[in-house]
Amino acid sequence: MASLSTSSLSFKAPSVQSTRTSQVLRKPLSFQPISFGRFQSSKNLRLQISCAAKPETVQKVSDIVREQLALSADTALTAESKFSALGADSLDTVEIVMALEEKFNISVEEADAQNITTIQEAADLIEDLAQKKPAA
Amino acid sequence: MAAPFTLRKIGVPPNSANLTEARRRVFDFFRAACRSLPTVMDIYNLQDVVAPSQLRFAISAQIRNNAHVTDPKVIDLLLFKGMEELTDIVDHAKQRHHIIGQYVVGEGLVQNTGSKDRGKSDFLKNFYTSNYF
Repeated sequence: MASLSTSSLSFKAPSVQSTRTSQVLRKPLSFQPISFGRFQSSKNLRLQISCAAKPETVQKVSDIVREQLALSADTALTAESKFSALGADSLDTVEIVMALEEKFNISVEEADAQNITTIQEAADLIEDLAQKKPAA
Repeated sequence: MAAPFTLRKIGVPPNSANLTEARRRVFDFFRAACRSLPTVMDIYNLQDVVAPSQLRFAISAQIRNNAHVTDPKVIDLLLFKGMEELTDIVDHAKQRHHIIGQYVVGEGLVQNTGSKDRGKSDFLKNFYTSNYF
């Protein structure tokens, strides 16, 4: 049932989505929440094709940032949080980039490193470099 | 594995023209130091003693100690001394107990603990110079 819902969403985007949400609102059956969850994740996957950063990469980057800036466990770290907003100065940013270099075994050029301001950008850069490396 | 990093020994470069260039040189130095860390850990067998992240923190702490300096020439000289120290360490001119004592445990060399004149406290400055003030 859940697999059927995802396949229908991929073919007929707008109309099926609206009917699906209205169905969820009207009839909260036991399997509906599962399909609603799948609906949300497939929609997000389609929107994130341009970003191309895996969630576990983002999670690892967040862990390194959290450890580097000594943030408490309850400060919320989203993919879009800027390093400067978390209390990092420029030296901290360079140190975070170095920690990422060591952890992911990549080599970040200086020009690329200048542009990193958020966690998402760091994760994207890591994914790019990880893809280019086996080709080289 | 990323290509192994080798510390290239360049002669003394001309002074930085402004604070921005000095800042760029500080970050380049920090990056060179961090990239030499695997070599350092290997040479002095520090694998069980300390993690690279702790050494990175020690290096950044020493840079931050002089973060209040604004004169580009002073920054250049501090970088020169830092580069000299890094070259000595990478060349195995130091020994393991030097590295552990200076960067892993405690505050390091006594001569490095005092920061450059920050103007924090007149009382302390007078106290350090003489007993009578």
